[in-house]
Amino acid sequence: MNYLFYDFVKITAGLPGLLAFRPKLLYHDPGKRERIRGGALLIANHFGFFDPIYLQYAVWYRRMRFVCLQSFFDSRAGWLFEAVHCIPINRDNIGMDSIRTIIDSLKEEKLVAMFPEGHVNENTGIDPFKSGMVLMAMQSDKPIIPVYIRPRKHWYERLVLVIGEKVNVKEVSAGKTGMAAMEEVAAILKEKEEELKIQAEEWKR
Amino acid sequence: MKREEIIEKLKEILVQADERMSDAIRNCELDSDLRTDLGLTSVGMLYTVIVIEETFGIRFENVGMNDFATLGDVVNYLEAHMNQ
Repeated sequence: MNYLFYDFVKITAGLPGLLAFRPKLLYHDPGKRERIRGGALLIANHFGFFDPIYLQYAVWYRRMRFVCLQSFFDSRAGWLFEAVHCIPINRDNIGMDSIRTIIDSLKEEKLVAMFPEGHVNENTGIDPFKSGMVLMAMQSDKPIIPVYIRPRKHWYERLVLVIGEKVNVKEVSAGKTGMAAMEEVAAILKEKEEELKIQAEEWKR
Repeated sequence: MKREEIIEKLKEILVQADERMSDAIRNCELDSDLRTDLGLTSVGMLYTVIVIEETFGIRFENVGMNDFATLGDVVNYLEAHMNQ
């Protein structure tokens, strides 16, 4: 897979963004400030169009594949999403091709990022998580890592990102599969996201 | 595999996907709606398809989950693709 364009965008947009956002990385467990290695599913709250860019600051040292709506691919800017290796998903009629791409990417030790609320949430709270991410993590046997992105109230505020601990979904579900188990894990992950949110809000604005 | 065997196997998979709906699934008919009658969500459909692929050794290519409205639609798809 050719990442030349991805790396070009990452460097040319990333460096000015560093000055503009001055990202502050926090860890839920400061004792575990370790880099994310291998395949993992990164999940985050979703409050705006630039969240994927913010998320890249949390894991600046890795390339990642973002899951985004098919409608972006169908727009005039579709080539851009394709060039940076986003994975299209048709929310109105999900196909197995998208799911297989996500699972295969994870198995190939790639980092895949998605927003489990399933939509842009402009409220202050976090909406319930959809359980699709749990299915993909279970099928690929890779962990889920929750990240909280604190929305900025003013342009001069620092961008605060809190990285949670890896969650092994098979351990959390005690080996159970099926919708009930997946929904339970999704609810646990949402609770973890709420914890990260509290930590982010405590950081001075 | 006979049509009746496919239906029975499919019902087993659906129960495995969501045990909370086991009564509705065991008593369902071919025209039962997967979403309204059997309570399948889009994620439930994906889970079911993954288990079907593993069980029947086929791949769902170029189809979306909304292409299947009833249990009969899935059975027809399986019958067509298993005989290929």
